[in-house]
Parts: sequence; structure tokens; C-alpha cells
Amino acid sequence: MNDFLELLVGATASGCVYALVALSYLLITRPTGVINFAVGEWSMLAAFGGFVLLSRLSLPYPVGMVLVLGGMFLIGWATERLTVRPLLEKGAPALAPILALLGMLVVFREVVSLGFGPDPQPVPPSFGFGRLELGLIAGSYQSFFIIAVTLSVFALTWYFFERTLAGKSFEAVAIDRRAAALMGINLRRVTSLAFAGSAVVAGLAGVLVSPNVSAHYLMGLPLAIQGFTALVIGGVGRVEGALLGGLILAFAEQFTVRYAPVPPGLAMGVPLVLLIVFLLLKPTGLLRAREARP
Amino acid sequence: MRQWIVLAIAALVLSAIGFALGAYQTDVYRKLLLWITLALGYNFLFGISGQVAFSHFTFYGIGAYAIVILLFQVGLPLPLAVLVGIALCVVLALIVAIPATRLEGFYLALATLAFAQLFIVVLNEGGAVTGAAGGLANYRLPDVFGMRVTGPWYTVVIVLLLLSTWTILWRLDRSYFGRACRAVRDDPEAARAMGVNVAHTKIIAYTVTSALAGMAGMVYAFVDNTVNPLIFGLENVFLLLFMVIVGGSGRHAGAVVGAVLLYLLPLVLSPLIGHHHALVFGVFMVVVVLFQPKGLIGLWDMLRKRGGRA
Repeated sequence: MNDFLELLVGATASGCVYALVALSYLLITRPTGVINFAVGEWSMLAAFGGFVLLSRLSLPYPVGMVLVLGGMFLIGWATERLTVRPLLEKGAPALAPILALLGMLVVFREVVSLGFGPDPQPVPPSFGFGRLELGLIAGSYQSFFIIAVTLSVFALTWYFFERTLAGKSFEAVAIDRRAAALMGINLRRVTSLAFAGSAVVAGLAGVLVSPNVSAHYLMGLPLAIQGFTALVIGGVGRVEGALLGGLILAFAEQFTVRYAPVPPGLAMGVPLVLLIVFLLLKPTGLLRAREARP
Repeated sequence: MRQWIVLAIAALVLSAIGFALGAYQTDVYRKLLLWITLALGYNFLFGISGQVAFSHFTFYGIGAYAIVILLFQVGLPLPLAVLVGIALCVVLALIVAIPATRLEGFYLALATLAFAQLFIVVLNEGGAVTGAAGGLANYRLPDVFGMRVTGPWYTVVIVLLLLSTWTILWRLDRSYFGRACRAVRDDPEAARAMGVNVAHTKIIAYTVTSALAGMAGMVYAFVDNTVNPLIFGLENVFLLLFMVIVGGSGRHAGAVVGAVLLYLLPLVLSPLIGHHHALVFGVFMVVVVLFQPKGLIGLWDMLRKRGGRA
């Protein structure tokens, strides 16, 4: 039982990381229809930001975190400005921005490998390596920190979309781009903000997960795959879907590793099988997108 | 008729080059020919049919592993092993393609990405059958009619593979089917309205190009005489995509130009920047998508048109 509860905390924490990556996809996909495969590389960049600021310069955790996320905001904004906006303004085919971002994925990764080399680099956890026990439920500080931060991020995102005018303009663009533009919503600003916000969320995932996996220039792609698997499970239409999908994926993954009689290497295939099954049986995901209300 | 003469001359010239090369150059040359073969197939899938699939290199791997396993573990004779290998690729391609065509937009990319990753997981966990992380090695091509096909003669096999792939794709492209593929790529709704069966077109394009990739994989298996999971990872399918886009997607000549350029570039660049040529590829890709969506072959067309006018 203890073992199960401990696993529960760990799985929830990884699920939260997947959920953040899924949210990062969703923030861009929902208003623009673009799928940004470079999301995982954004997490990787932020993890290296964490390595430089927190490990090398030993800045206090909150200061380092704020600096990294500020940097990610700029990177997301610049990525949109340099590679996506020119294509949208030229009226390029819908595929073009996706390909440009795929190119950026390689650029980000290779720049980091050029700068930091192929070795994994340590990033410190928020409150050190302690263990927290709340009655029966126990886990590392970092696990609880990840869960708390993720829940706050999702609460904030929910508040943004449901209660603020800017958030409603996102939803309006998602439902009908043309109609939204005709109602005076600034499409450019929505797109810029979507990319910047997405980069911040992806960066957060990167800094949160890196104490466990270390910052490594190849860490992006697995995160990206887990993130979009979570997204597909939950459905691309709803913010809550990302959280739900992330948790389902992490539970399926970790419980298979722990309890199912398959070799651990094969358990790595669990998210992939889950992704294929969901794509085939329920491509809209578990939660349906909101339709325009009359 | 003229086309056959051109093909015969191409076969002679490309094979003759194979006989003039030393050991290292032969290796480079063979792999270059294989990359061109793959890029031609991927160009048909991505550039002409408009399917963003990341599974092309996976079928290359399936072909390579299949032939080795069928020959040396199942013990089939070579011709039968080739046929069974192709059949395997076709069946797997159908299994992926039939449900995947129901998926819209980038979902096909996600599904094939998952399929590609799953293949690597299976290879690594396949135990003695796939040789796990170390792969399979220490085998050689069985004799064909009592003859050992080695050295430059094996290069001739690769040349024939390349030219037959080219011919099949060229013919398909020039037929009703090729026009249907382009119509589906540009506007599925309009294509359906014109009486094109969109699902069938997509499934056939995916299956044919995947089977061709599988065949290339079978030939590759005896180039290095080793197959392992590292060779068939995701990196290479990205490279294939970059080749097609940089060369000029939707054009056969573009695929050839892209494959030659991106394959030879690392060899030229490595004294300058070591192993960081991937950075150059990424920048290339972004620049081409942004400024020259028709790729290098589009640039060439533009120059020729200007030259013609002057």
C-alpha cells in the first residue's frame, strides 16, 4: 500500500509535467491551428537556463525561475515573429509554419549542443532533495512542488480563458478566426501571445522536470511526444483535457512499469501504443471542444 | 522508347562510376544512391501526396530487418525472403494507412511519429530476433545463382534499385493516379467533388512509397552488413524531410538535388564545424520554408526563365 501511494505521488508529478507540455501545445494549436513540434526543445532550453542560472550562478530559486520564464517569453515571442508571422502574412499553406518550426527544433537543439556539449547537466530542485510525508502519502519535495505549481498554472489558465476579455478573445479566435477578426480582435496579438505563453509553460515544464532527468540537449523530443500524447488523450479543445491527459498517460506508464510483467524497455512503448489507440478510436480526445454558442 | 534509352544510359553511367571508386568512396557513393532512392519515395509521399508522415525511414528499417531475419533466422531462400519482406511492408503500411487516413491534418504526423518510435522500442526489446540494442551483424548476402555479388557489382544492384524506384514513381506521377494525388494534396474537398476517391488515393500512395522504402532497406542491409536500432531513429526521417523541402518538394529533380546536397554537405563541412552540420540543416530548412518555398529546384527554374528571356 505504501508503495502504491508513493508511486501515486511520483506518477502525479510526471503527469503534471506532461500536462504542462500538452498545455503548451494547446495554447498555440487552439487559436492558430499550428502544431509546434519545437515545444519539447523550449523545455530543453529552459532546463539549460535553469542550469546556468541556478547551478552555475547559484541564484536563489525564485529569481532564477523568473529570469528563465522571462527569457522563455521572449524566445516564444521571437520564434513567432521570425518564423511564423512572415508565413501567415504571405498566406503560405497551413503546413509551412509547422515545417518552419520543425526546422527551429533542430536549430534550438544544435545550438545548445554546440554551447553545452553532449553531457547531461545538473539542475537543482526547488527545496533540495528532501522527502515529505503527509500521513500515508509521501514523496519528494520536488514532486509536491511540481504538483502545486502545475495546479496553479492550470487554475490561472482557466481563469484567463473563462474570466478575462483577453482570454475570451483567444477562445473566439479558436472557434472562428474570420469572425473574430471581423469583431475587431487583433489576430496578430493573439498569435504572438499564444506563442509567448506557450513557451513560458513549456519552459516551466523543463525547469520542473530537469532535477530528475538533468538538462540534456536530447531531452526535448521525448517530452514533446509525451506532451502531445497527453494532448490527444485529453482532447485539443479544452484546457482541462491537457491535465486529464497528462495524468492518464503518466499513470498508465508508471503502473505498467511497476506492476505489469513486461520488461521496462517495452514499457517505454506504453505512451506510444496509447497514442495510436486514441488516435484511431477517439481522435477528438476525451473532452470535446466547445462549440460556438448561439 | 526514348525514356528507356535514357534509363539505360543512366544505368551504365551510374554503374561505371561504381567501378572507378576506391573502398571509402564506394561506401559514400552507395549510401548517396540509397538516400536519393529514399528521398524520391518520400517526395512522392510528402511532396506530391501531401502526407506529413514520419514513418518512411521506419519502413526502410522494417525492410532491412525483415530480409536479415527471414534469410538467416527463418532460413528462407533469397527470392522468397524478398517477396515476404515486401509483403510485410505492404501489410504494415496498410495497417497504418487505413485508419490514419481518417485522421485530419497533423494527426497523421503524430500517429506515424508514434509508429516510428514504437519500431525503435520493439527493436531494442526484440531479444535474439532483432539483436536488441546491438542489432544484427556477421551475415553476408547469399549467393545468387551460385555467384557472389560483391564490390562494384553490388553497387550496380543499388543503381538498379534507384532507377526502378525512379521509373515507378515517375510513371505513377504521370498517370491519373499522380494527378489524383496532387489534387488531394491541394484540396481534398475539390478532389472529392471531381470524383477522386480521396481515401483510396492516400492509402495507395502511402503503401506504395512505404513498400519502396522497404525495398531500399533490403538492399541497404547488405551495404554495411549490419542493422541496428540507431540507424533507423527519428533523426534520419527529419533529414529526409529536410532533403525534400530544401531540394523542392513535389519535384523528382528536387528530391535528387536535396538528397545529394544534404548528404554530401556534412562530408564537406566536417573539417570546419565537426559534427554540428545538423545546425546548418535546421537553418537551411527554416530559410527555405520562409524565403524559397519551392526549394532549390524552384530557384533553378527562376534562373533558367530569366536566362531564356534575356
